[in-house]
Amino acid sequence: MIFFPLLIGKLISFISRFFNLGSGSTWPGHMAIENDPNFIKKILRRNLNLKVILIAGTNGKTTTGKLIQTILEKNGSKVFQNEAGANLLNGVASTLIEESNLTGGLDYDFAIFEIDENTLPLILDNVYPNIIVLLNLFRDQLDRYGEVNIISDKWKKALSLIDKKTNLILNADDPKIAYLGLDTKNVKYFSVRGKEQVIGHASDSAYCPKCGNKLDYKSITFSHLGDWSCKKCGLKRPKPDLENFESYALPGAYNRYNIHTAVLTAKTLGASNEKILIALKDFKPAFGRQEIVEYKGRKIQIFLSKNPASFNQSLETINELKAKHLLLVLNDRIPDGRDVSWIWDVDFENNLKNFKNILVSGDRVYDMALRLKYADRNDAKPYDVVTDAVEDLIDSAPKNDILYILPTYSAMLDLRKILTGKKIL
Amino acid sequence: MKYDLKIGWLYPDLMSTYGDRGNIIVLKKRCEWRGIKTEVLNLNEEFDAKLLNDINILFMGGAQDTQQEIVAKDFTLNKISALKKKVEDGTPGLYICGAYQFLGRYYKNADGVKIKGLGIFDLHTEHPGDTNKRLIGNVIARSDLVNEMVGFENHGGRTFLGKNLKPFAKVIKGFGNNGEDKTEGAIYKNSIGSYLHGPILPKNPEIADWLISKALEQKYKKKIKLEKLDDSLSQKAKEAILLRISS
Repeated sequence: MIFFPLLIGKLISFISRFFNLGSGSTWPGHMAIENDPNFIKKILRRNLNLKVILIAGTNGKTTTGKLIQTILEKNGSKVFQNEAGANLLNGVASTLIEESNLTGGLDYDFAIFEIDENTLPLILDNVYPNIIVLLNLFRDQLDRYGEVNIISDKWKKALSLIDKKTNLILNADDPKIAYLGLDTKNVKYFSVRGKEQVIGHASDSAYCPKCGNKLDYKSITFSHLGDWSCKKCGLKRPKPDLENFESYALPGAYNRYNIHTAVLTAKTLGASNEKILIALKDFKPAFGRQEIVEYKGRKIQIFLSKNPASFNQSLETINELKAKHLLLVLNDRIPDGRDVSWIWDVDFENNLKNFKNILVSGDRVYDMALRLKYADRNDAKPYDVVTDAVEDLIDSAPKNDILYILPTYSAMLDLRKILTGKKIL
Repeated sequence: MKYDLKIGWLYPDLMSTYGDRGNIIVLKKRCEWRGIKTEVLNLNEEFDAKLLNDINILFMGGAQDTQQEIVAKDFTLNKISALKKKVEDGTPGLYICGAYQFLGRYYKNADGVKIKGLGIFDLHTEHPGDTNKRLIGNVIARSDLVNEMVGFENHGGRTFLGKNLKPFAKVIKGFGNNGEDKTEGAIYKNSIGSYLHGPILPKNPEIADWLISKALEQKYKKKIKLEKLDDSLSQKAKEAILLRISS
């Protein structure tokens, strides 16, 4: 019987939206699963024609999901996706409640779910996906996720139990991800061409996933992603099925990965190159991911920066964009991770010299100011109140310059509220 | 007189998961700001034990279990005795989390398997099994060097000190060595072991300066007074944590 949980779920969702209670996106699902642990399984069983795509990985889930959705929709399919961040079981259940009719019917061709790293094994107990996309594993929120190796071990175990017909789309350049495809038939690999360089500090996986020996890299794209091989046991990067594409809708090496992933996924589902190109031409980034917001007549671009790898990529990309005016916002709430030690793994030392103004704010503003002081930017200005920082950022820059904000997750949500006046979750 | 110091960073590639390299950055910068020249020697897998000889400050951070196993294998007998000699001679050192455990007599992992440690610190660590919770959160502790020391701990193992080893600090808030006896870390001669990430040195610069002073004293055989630095940002970052925990 799933009529009642659906009805009640829809009601809760409506009420929380109506009163703007904010967390409306996961409550209905939470209640439905409390009521029936098999809720997700049951509702999907009623919709056997619905193809499910799961996306997991530390960085890039939301952007990749949006890219895939955009391509599939341009190809005439009906697609829905869970809201970014609502990526635990309750978020998936809530999305199903939201999108289904009262008899549990889902009038769609595809469901795309971005899934939290820890939740992937639980989801695989409940969902039979057509495609599983695994992007990367970087150190992130060690207080919540534990260490990278623990997650990749969990994934390996969970993947060994799935239907062998499931398609895997894996990152060839991330040793731990590529290793998950070993001995699997329906697997395709994406890659991004790197260059010859020394492996950087914030690297997590430079050791062989099979034998533990230190890996050799012919080239590196960033962090531990690259053309790797193990001298000891002979394991090496699998041959990529896709490592180049004609056009890139978003700047940054990390977005080349996201785009390759989406293109390879779409091609696996039968989309043609032309259609993909057309679809991606007017792609708009997901909220907070390089999103440009107009505020008081100024252009402000937000780059979600939530862990060392994503922060380094943001810094590198805004340097390429010739950024001059920068605001960093560091929070330490549950979605950010309560431990801010990771900012010392960010490569500020080599990435700050081009910025004219650096402002810092957030719950842990002085930790960030201190970090920058040790990276020779004693001039970074701390602000206790983030709105003051935004106003000063605007005042400090010439009228036509774009302003850049690099926030952690909860800071990004707050900032968007300030800049757009709207709540997203 | 011009001073210079050599900082030895043990296994930066392997033992460096929790932002602990911030400690190296702080040591280096605080020397540099005072005109003390520094060189950081990265002591990676298969490093030559002889390199330890003329190092003035040692540092080693925490890591994941697999990485620690690789380090354990790399720690050959002559490396162990070279490091032991450094510690016994009074070479200042800072050993965080996994490194701190590693310096003890043994580590009993979550499966009950005993892994031999270097036996330099009179302590042992036991992981009570995966069903027990990790000790995670902000810490405030009091040590002789810092009145209100702050940091972030994240460890599964519980460490117990032997009779001959002094704790580094007393826990005011948080778990510390084992969540039971209110001790945090250990201090032996001029070597400090601690569970605190954060990293420990940026917000507790007194410890960095103590390590630098000891290193200068040992190398130049005289007391050298360190120039005072402006640590108001450290203090403010610390206050934010104190406020958070006490509220």
